[in-house]
Amino acid sequence: MAATGDYALWAWLAPGLSFLLLSLVVPLRRSGRPAAWLSIVFSAGALVGAILAWRATVPDMARRILWEWIPVEDGVLTSVGVLADADSTLMLILVALVSFLVQLYSLGYLADEPPASLGRYYAYQSLFAFSMMGLVLAPNFVQLFICWELVGLCSYLLIGYWYQRPEAARAAVKAFWVTKAGDVGFLIGIVMLWSRTGTFDFSDLFAMAQGGSDALTGIALVMFFIYLGAAGKSAQFPFHIWLPDAMEGPTPVSALIHAATMVTAGVYLLFRTSFLFEQAPEVLHAVGWIGAFTALFAATLACVQADIKRVLAYSTVSQLGYMMAAIGAGFASAGFLHLLTHGVFKALLFLAAGAVIHAVASNDIFAMGGLARRMPQTFVVFLIGTLSLAGIPFFAGFFSKEEILGATWAGGLTLPFAMLVLAAFLTAFYMFRVVFIAFFGSPAAVATGAPAHGAHGRDAGHAHDAPPIMTVVLWVLALLAVTIGIGFARSHPESEFVVPGFITPLAIGVAVGGIALATVVYPLRWISPDWLARRLAALNEAAHERFWLDDLFALAYRSGILGLSRIVGWFDRYIVDGILNVLSAWTLTAGDRLRRVQSGQVQDYIYGIALGVLLVMVLLRWPR
Amino acid sequence: MTLQAYLTLAAMLFCIGLFGVMTRRNTIGILLGIELMLNAVNINLVAFARFRGDVAGMVFTVFTICITVAEVALGLALVILIYRIRRTAVADHLDLLRG
Amino acid sequence: MTLESIAFGGLAVVLLASALAVVLTRNLFHSVLYLALSLVATAGLFLSLDAEFLAAIQLLLYAGGVVTIVVFAIVVTERLVGDRITQTSRQLLAGFGIAGALLVAIIAVFRRAPLTIPRPPMSGDLTRTIGESVLTTYVLPFELLGVLFLVALVGALYFARPDD
Repeated sequence: MAATGDYALWAWLAPGLSFLLLSLVVPLRRSGRPAAWLSIVFSAGALVGAILAWRATVPDMARRILWEWIPVEDGVLTSVGVLADADSTLMLILVALVSFLVQLYSLGYLADEPPASLGRYYAYQSLFAFSMMGLVLAPNFVQLFICWELVGLCSYLLIGYWYQRPEAARAAVKAFWVTKAGDVGFLIGIVMLWSRTGTFDFSDLFAMAQGGSDALTGIALVMFFIYLGAAGKSAQFPFHIWLPDAMEGPTPVSALIHAATMVTAGVYLLFRTSFLFEQAPEVLHAVGWIGAFTALFAATLACVQADIKRVLAYSTVSQLGYMMAAIGAGFASAGFLHLLTHGVFKALLFLAAGAVIHAVASNDIFAMGGLARRMPQTFVVFLIGTLSLAGIPFFAGFFSKEEILGATWAGGLTLPFAMLVLAAFLTAFYMFRVVFIAFFGSPAAVATGAPAHGAHGRDAGHAHDAPPIMTVVLWVLALLAVTIGIGFARSHPESEFVVPGFITPLAIGVAVGGIALATVVYPLRWISPDWLARRLAALNEAAHERFWLDDLFALAYRSGILGLSRIVGWFDRYIVDGILNVLSAWTLTAGDRLRRVQSGQVQDYIYGIALGVLLVMVLLRWPR
Repeated sequence: MTLQAYLTLAAMLFCIGLFGVMTRRNTIGILLGIELMLNAVNINLVAFARFRGDVAGMVFTVFTICITVAEVALGLALVILIYRIRRTAVADHLDLLRG
Repeated sequence: MTLESIAFGGLAVVLLASALAVVLTRNLFHSVLYLALSLVATAGLFLSLDAEFLAAIQLLLYAGGVVTIVVFAIVVTERLVGDRITQTSRQLLAGFGIAGALLVAIIAVFRRAPLTIPRPPMSGDLTRTIGESVLTTYVLPFELLGVLFLVALVGALYFARPDD
């Protein structure tokens, strides 16, 4: 048991060390592939540490290793260290695993990058792994917040990895700003919580919650502020707008940060502090509603996207909404379970999509087509991911999604439950829409795709499976998705709540229904997509315009912030600067005029002295 | 003679010296004017010392005379230097300090 | 008219006349000679104030030393310029006005508060007293004077050194 914390610490510090090496030893970083291998080896070490830590955990026991930090007059304000228990080490495994696999995969995906650039990429990757693990293992709000911001920074850096491209740079800034807006609330919430309870420590707060401390009554506002941070990070409505744009980053980054780990940090935070959120049921209620709405909302958006990564991005938003809904229903562990399974199969989907993009040099699904024959391996793993996401039995996503549906039902959130069911139907539909368009049929004559990432200049006709290093990673994740699904099917874990009997058939039913609809529309063409679009014209257009939410934000930004800035700028330019400019102009003119007094001739100065003496003498006599 | 007479004489001498300093174009001429002014000061010092019966004024005069000599020596050295560099001794031309 | 006042008047006339000549003569060399005359007249004034020692060093240092140096300077600069230096004046009226105004002001001060201290009788040897106080009370300034001379010497050498 004692070793749990030590293993967790090992797992945490390994990528940190790798980051230090890569950032400080410049020649190493610039060497490219050696740097990559260093980072991969260290993250493999982290994975081993994480697994050992998890195996060494004891149920209902948490192991803490703390170092005092920020000493104040009476004791210590906060500490830094690890809090290792069954949940955090499980999350640690997910982070380490996906991080390791993604780094391995990137070696193939980014093979054409210049060495210095590749080294930079791996330095960011190491920093991200370090920060994310620090977040997962955080024993208090302070460390959690610091790591929270660090992963946000890594997200910014990696979205903007191809910073020469204006869209990437803009997307990076957008992601940073939107999440930061939530983080301000998060920070306010943390400080408010501290001012009430006097501690940042999770264990102390847990003891308070258990003991029914008065300090924790009526903390709805505090928890709402903390939720704002989680909503920003986990792309909950209306903060979700940054996530689809974040797809400008390299696809492995999208898989790691914007699907499997960082965006789930908000869910993890809510799961981790669910004992606090239980003190504020009204906030939990809101979390559930917003989560369910986000799930449905993002699912509708995913149905009309042509960019494969954007489909997956909206799907991620939608799935995050599922997790939030479960937490909002009061069953945080159901959300956490979905977090873990989703991490695996969404990383798989993204990496498979990356392999496709790598092969056809386009993001546009209509420019693909017929890839099932040319990229059989990729097709199979993508299909496994899709089935998982759609919630087909014996795949990883089925059980956890069913748990969430059961949880929202049991939590009494009937309307959110209905939304989630509808979202599940749409999920199956839009995922199979991608499968049918991209992997079957024939490539469209006109490729209208956006400029591709790993541009190879190939088209869909000559596409083939990715190099082994990428394929291996895909297969590992696919196997995991299947084994987890089968494992759940064999040993159905005990739920905290009673799942009504109709949930399971309903979940399977909507998934199959969605797949059936996609089949009818796309390969069979019994219903033309255009006809469907016309029937749902308003919805279609709204979804194409992302429900005008981005425009709304842009409008608010332009009229609000820019307007204010313009007023402030005008004031600064004309009033503040104006006064100073006038003053300085006067000073200059006066100086220029006075300058001529200084003739530089000794005798003129003597005149001055003599006149001065005369003046003094006259003035001395004057008053009398 | 009264103290007043000495002081009045010194004042006249001082003003003549000042006039010279202000009007002379040649740097050596300016120096001569300064000498006259210093002389006026010396007369004042000695007169006060004599009329007040205090030897301090005379000691001061000793010092001023010595310092004046040093000043003249340095001043003339400067004049020669200016001659060398600027090829002029006319104070009007020396306006490096012009603003 | 006592003998004393006649002597004072004579000295004053010589002093003022030679001083005016110093500032008005066009010939620089003559102007130096007039300066020497006015310095001698000042020495006479010192004698009339019973300061024989001061009169002596006035003659030695001033009339002897300063005038010699100035003459040297004139000779050297004339040789450097290669031309006779003529003394011209500028802004005579302004200079006269200011100097005159200052004189009027000073005399006005005297008239407002006339100094009517009687001349005390001489007590003892003034030269001895000066010598004693220079070597006792004022010994530090006296020594510093030596330093000043050294500095002036070095400075003058530095300024006047030939170009290299």
